[in-house]
Amino acid sequence: MAAEEATSKVVEALHDLNVQNVVSIPKIGPFDFSITNAVIYLWVSAAIVFILFFIAARRAKKEPEKLQTLAEILIGFGRGHLTGQIGEKGRKYYYLILTIFVYILVTNLVGLIPKPAVIKPYVPTANINVTFGMAIVVFILTQYLGMKNHGVRGYMRSWLLPPGVPKAIGTPLNGIFFTVHAVGEIFRPLSLSVRLFGNTIAGHLVILVMLGLILEVASAVVIIPASLFIVFMTGFEIFVAFIQAYIFSLLSVIYIEGAIYAGH
Amino acid sequence: MDAESAKNLAAGLGIGLATLGPGLGIGYLTGRASEAIARQPEASGDIRTAMIIGAGMTEALALYAFVICIILLFVA
Repeated sequence: MAAEEATSKVVEALHDLNVQNVVSIPKIGPFDFSITNAVIYLWVSAAIVFILFFIAARRAKKEPEKLQTLAEILIGFGRGHLTGQIGEKGRKYYYLILTIFVYILVTNLVGLIPKPAVIKPYVPTANINVTFGMAIVVFILTQYLGMKNHGVRGYMRSWLLPPGVPKAIGTPLNGIFFTVHAVGEIFRPLSLSVRLFGNTIAGHLVILVMLGLILEVASAVVIIPASLFIVFMTGFEIFVAFIQAYIFSLLSVIYIEGAIYAGH
Repeated sequence: MDAESAKNLAAGLGIGLATLGPGLGIGYLTGRASEAIARQPEASGDIRTAMIIGAGMTEALALYAFVICIILLFVA
């Protein structure tokens, strides 16, 4: 009995990662349009990103103040580190990449802020649906750009061997090349989304399990090292939030760039 | 051994074993990147970008295993 209660405290702490309905809307076919706490936190982060850049752009001055400096740092980082090598043809996707970067960063940080149970805490990026949704956008854009810039035939040909290989060797090899390349293309959004999702949920799981442990074993021997570990992990999570936003947008840049200049 | 304990054992062992390879990989990668930066400090920006991309790719392998362990523990 005691053991069951003890495990329930650790499991209870993990309820932070549960999706809860806020406004229930009846299902339309297989789709559930209910407004959950995940959706609300996504809206909150989107609103923060929008308001940050909107106010910074409205109040733009020659001598930047706090908000404008922050926005300029983000834009400069995006221009320098993320889209530096995307070239002339990819210039207009710069805004997409910058939005992805800032949005993931803000969503991660919003998820990191400790929240009381009243406002139904949730970490949007610790949900595979959210990250896969973002990765699918990049995937569709990549395929569209490849087909638009090279034509469907040209894009498919960029997956094969370069021309000039004798047919007897080229045809079977091309079959293997095509399969490998197609599987690789399909796995790109999967790995993009699983990377962000896994990193976020792993950090939060560790913190929550430690919190559950503190509640379960109420003695100084556990509480002191566990609290210190939580402080350290939270700091590390802030670092991970930056790194993951950076990696997600950097890989998006590389995929988009690869589609635009395919076969070169 | 009943199904529940087999599941717990598989999840625990799975994530432990799955972090071995990526751990070695990221260690090797970071060591080589530091060596490269020490040899050519002016190229540190490019090297760091390549390192982060490589680390992200390597780390994804451990995360696949992590997701499978989570599925084993909570879903399956």
